[in-house]
Amino acid sequence: MNKSKIAILLGVVCMVLTFVMCIQLKTIDVANKTVASSFSENRLRDEVLKWKDRYEEVYNEVQIEEAKLEKMRKKATENDDAAAATREKLKIANRLLGFTELTGKGVEITLDDNKLQSVDGTTTGNVLDYIVHDDDLIQIINDIKNAGVDAIAINDQRIVSTTGIACDGNVVRINKEKVSAPYVIKVIGSPEGIMGALTTPGTCFDTLDKLGLVKSVNKSNSVIVPKYEGIIELEYMKPVE
Amino acid sequence: MKGKGIMTVTIGAMIALLVCVMLMQFRTIEGTDIKELETMRETELRAEVAGWKTKYEEANKKLIDTQNKIAEYEEQEANNQESSKLLEEELKQAETMLGKTNVTGNGIVITLKDNDIALIEAYDLYKLVNDLRLAGAEAISINDIRITAMTDIKEIARGLMTIDGTRIWSPYIIQAIGDQTYLESGLTLKTYGYMDFVIKGYDKTGTIERQENMIIKASNKDMILEYAEEVKK
Repeated sequence: MNKSKIAILLGVVCMVLTFVMCIQLKTIDVANKTVASSFSENRLRDEVLKWKDRYEEVYNEVQIEEAKLEKMRKKATENDDAAAATREKLKIANRLLGFTELTGKGVEITLDDNKLQSVDGTTTGNVLDYIVHDDDLIQIINDIKNAGVDAIAINDQRIVSTTGIACDGNVVRINKEKVSAPYVIKVIGSPEGIMGALTTPGTCFDTLDKLGLVKSVNKSNSVIVPKYEGIIELEYMKPVE
Repeated sequence: MKGKGIMTVTIGAMIALLVCVMLMQFRTIEGTDIKELETMRETELRAEVAGWKTKYEEANKKLIDTQNKIAEYEEQEANNQESSKLLEEELKQAETMLGKTNVTGNGIVITLKDNDIALIEAYDLYKLVNDLRLAGAEAISINDIRITAMTDIKEIARGLMTIDGTRIWSPYIIQAIGDQTYLESGLTLKTYGYMDFVIKGYDKTGTIERQENMIIKASNKDMILEYAEEVKK
């Protein structure tokens, strides 16, 4: 009798021990996986930094070479009035294309998600209403263009002829670059015209303002709009005479 | 009795050993970085790498392009050629990018029409322009009006719109030059693509077709900068 009692007790103890060991082995397995993935993540982080460095290096080189090119252009047109006029036209074309940093009077608008999700204690009950979406930016940019402006940038991404605005999870992509709230829209143009176009009742800007997403609007005499850092590639279209 | 005592001691020793091993294991697990569990963002990092790579490649292209131009100018200088020729070429290229020349190429044509249930709105047009640009469109026109970087599309009454001040109405014919497959698939993504979501989702009428060698006309608007000046370095 006593012997079998001991045997049962031992059996139970062994089972518990085995059970705990199994749990531990599983935990170790997960932990090992984490270690492995953090290794590959670290490798990826290095990779990100490496490509970023490379990009910055080449970008600086481009700046230097462009300055050199402009000097060569100047030199080539020194004693030639017609050529100088062409050079001037080219300069203006490059400004219009977005390849230069511009300054002038205009407006700076900041949009941000309304984290309190209510204005004057009222709420629409839909969280999505209190977030700035890609579609809002598309509408606001078109409304700004309606005012006939010179240059626009969102979070330092210049709006050029190839610019598309897209949703990418919880961020927005502009010129393929990730941008996220708060969105700072810099516009060079008539401040009165821009605000007139934006604040017409029923516009997207008007709606966002009512939902508390418009954080600030600053008119200024010296808004600076950065240049477009990408390239405009023409692969599929050809000019016809 | 003696045998039993030995057995108990042996079993006791084994259990003690097991507990010891288990404690050691717990220690080991604590030592590994469990915090990393929370930052499983491998796909995100991969996207980041791809993004910088693309940027690098674009910048590299620009660098090569600029260097080639410098070489051309140097060659011209060495040969004492007419100086304005290269400049004119550069200007022509810039004007093509601006939309100041007629261009030709393969692409797609989208036709949007008002119907008895729903009218086409300004949003439908500029959202389409946005989505075409995302799909890599190089030149776009709506009812033969060239869409440039700062083109504005306005609805001035129901079913009546202006593009850069010119009035247009249904049917709206949008031409876009670019990679036909990209352009088409960019618009026809299921459920959330432009055609499904913006057009069919609101009972509007629209069709897409491919076209070869189409011509998109130049913009005829004056492109000037009224308020902006270049930042002097």
